[in-house]
Amino acid sequence: MNGRTSLRLRLLLGTLVWILGSIGLTGWLLNGLFSEHLGRQFHAELQTHLDQLAANLEIDANGRTVLSRPLSDPRLARPYSGLYWQVDRLGEAGQPAVPAVLRSRSLWDQALAVPDDHPADGEVHQHAVSGPNGTPLLMIERLLRPLDPPGPAVRLIVAADEALLGEPLQRFRGMLLTALGLLAAGLAGAAVVQVRSGLRPLNRLREELTQLRDGRRATLDGRYPAEVQPVVDELNTVLARNAEFVERARSQAGNLAHAVKTPLSVMANAAAGESGPLAELVGSQVVLARQQIDHHLARARAAAAAQLSGRRCRLRPAVDGLLRVLQRLCAERDVELTVGQCPDDLVFRGEAQDLQEMLGNLLDNAGKWASRRIVVDAEQTAGELRIDVDDDGPGIATGQRAELLQRGRRGDERVPGSGLGLAIVDDLARLYGGRLELLDAPLGGLRARLWLPAGRDGDGTTDTPAP
Amino acid sequence: MRLLVVEDEPTLCAQLCRSLEAAGYAVDAAGNGRDAEHLGREEPFDAVVLDLGLPLVDGLTVLKRWRAAGRNMPVLILTARGDWHERVAGIDAGADDYLVKPFHMEELQARLRALIRRAGGQAANELNCGPLTLDTRSARAHVDGQPLVLTSHEFRVLAYLLHRRDQVVSRSELSEHIYAHDSDRDSNTIEVFVGRLRKKLPADMIETVRGLGYRLRAPA
Repeated sequence: MNGRTSLRLRLLLGTLVWILGSIGLTGWLLNGLFSEHLGRQFHAELQTHLDQLAANLEIDANGRTVLSRPLSDPRLARPYSGLYWQVDRLGEAGQPAVPAVLRSRSLWDQALAVPDDHPADGEVHQHAVSGPNGTPLLMIERLLRPLDPPGPAVRLIVAADEALLGEPLQRFRGMLLTALGLLAAGLAGAAVVQVRSGLRPLNRLREELTQLRDGRRATLDGRYPAEVQPVVDELNTVLARNAEFVERARSQAGNLAHAVKTPLSVMANAAAGESGPLAELVGSQVVLARQQIDHHLARARAAAAAQLSGRRCRLRPAVDGLLRVLQRLCAERDVELTVGQCPDDLVFRGEAQDLQEMLGNLLDNAGKWASRRIVVDAEQTAGELRIDVDDDGPGIATGQRAELLQRGRRGDERVPGSGLGLAIVDDLARLYGGRLELLDAPLGGLRARLWLPAGRDGDGTTDTPAP
Repeated sequence: MRLLVVEDEPTLCAQLCRSLEAAGYAVDAAGNGRDAEHLGREEPFDAVVLDLGLPLVDGLTVLKRWRAAGRNMPVLILTARGDWHERVAGIDAGADDYLVKPFHMEELQARLRALIRRAGGQAANELNCGPLTLDTRSARAHVDGQPLVLTSHEFRVLAYLLHRRDQVVSRSELSEHIYAHDSDRDSNTIEVFVGRLRKKLPADMIETVRGLGYRLRAPA
């Protein structure tokens, strides 16, 4: 499938890019918001612990820093729990600072090293430091200077393992990824279904157009969505106009031919009543003119028929009708016309009139040459109709057969006729993708074998020739 | 034998009439479908030559109406339309033969003879009655091999009687079949033609059936 020309691929790619883009952006935003929220919550919790530490801190009578009561969070009592506090006494007037004068039980024997950045009194600083066992900690500190009694400043430190912050974030990301992944998969699936169902009418249209091209239907007659129906209607209009033009051209060609034939008859009859070279010339030219008219009329008909799609007709009624005609035309001669095998359900994929023209010419030819018998046989083999018209006449020599199928050639001058019959049949059959073969008939004469495209009953316009 | 020629092209119509009259037929002509339909319904023709593309009413409709009205004279369609589906339509409408223009007059005449002969139940081109033979192809009659010299009216009377050999034919029927529609019909002239024929034929071949008409039969 070519990406530039495939509507389905374009729609799918467009939808998928859009879905993935918006879901990615949503994920990034949600992750950022949640991460920020967690950070703020973490900081607030540390601040609460710091406030509690500050509130519980006392300087006893000996000037020692003590905690009036333990901090409430049980994690502070569990060693290396990840939540720690520590109180440093800052050195004053040449006295060295004493780190960790007080610390949470969770720190056990460890002390937190704090970068000395001299925060102002009451100011809260935040640092990332390394805690017990090298665990990364997030820490806040604040200086407190006791006023009553005045003493050296103390640094209150509260720290928590960054894992306490990272773990819920990690869990949230996992859930977010799963949820967004599922959403993306669902949306992509929906897009595929939507594109498929949206384009289904186009597939149907393509199928109908294929049938149209193959001659299996004459118009597009499915019902289509409002967006496609106008195109289908326009196409049908074009098809109908095309058929109308073809029909008009054909009938004009026919009218012209017929209009010319009556004056030709007058000329031929007038010439027949006279003798001399002029009369002979007129007589022979009239014959030629008739041959030309018949030939070109047949070709015009066939060319028109090849343009028209979707025509169908049953074989058997055409054969029966022609046999009725031939029985009349051969009434003077004792010729027996029989139909051997010719199932009723055989269908020719083409115009009924053209089928009658081809079979009529073959039967006419057989009628001219047969001594006593003409047999018509037909069957369908692999999408083709095989129709045999056999006679028990003199037949045609193998070498002459190809010549006979050429325009205007006559196999024998003894029997009247334009001599074009077989050539016209071959022409017509070829325009339908079929052919005419001249073979030896089992009856002893000629077997004219006609191959034509077979149709299925009911898959197009079936017009049945006059019963 | 009386024919109807239905053809709207005047020159061709005249040619047909001339040629068929020369062959011994009494010929009526119609140039449009309405006249043709009327004539075919009212007059007893022995055969009809019918064009299909006619003014007012087309030939196929005319033919169907004749057949619906029970008129069963043989009809030969003579048309420029030679497509096989048109031939099927013509034969199915009740035509007995179909000839496509341009045509040979000889072929038309041969087919007409065959139609008339078959309509009269005759199988061969030669009609016989005792020593009398009439070749419908050459329009010649012989008695014991000797040619008979006949006028066109005598020929028509003899041919009609021969087609209805051993049947009683009334004077009016004879007159209807040997005269065209627009000619002066005088049934007394029939007596004159029969009288002349009797002189040329062996005795008692044309019998007068009192009050009914004439009967042609082989001499005893």
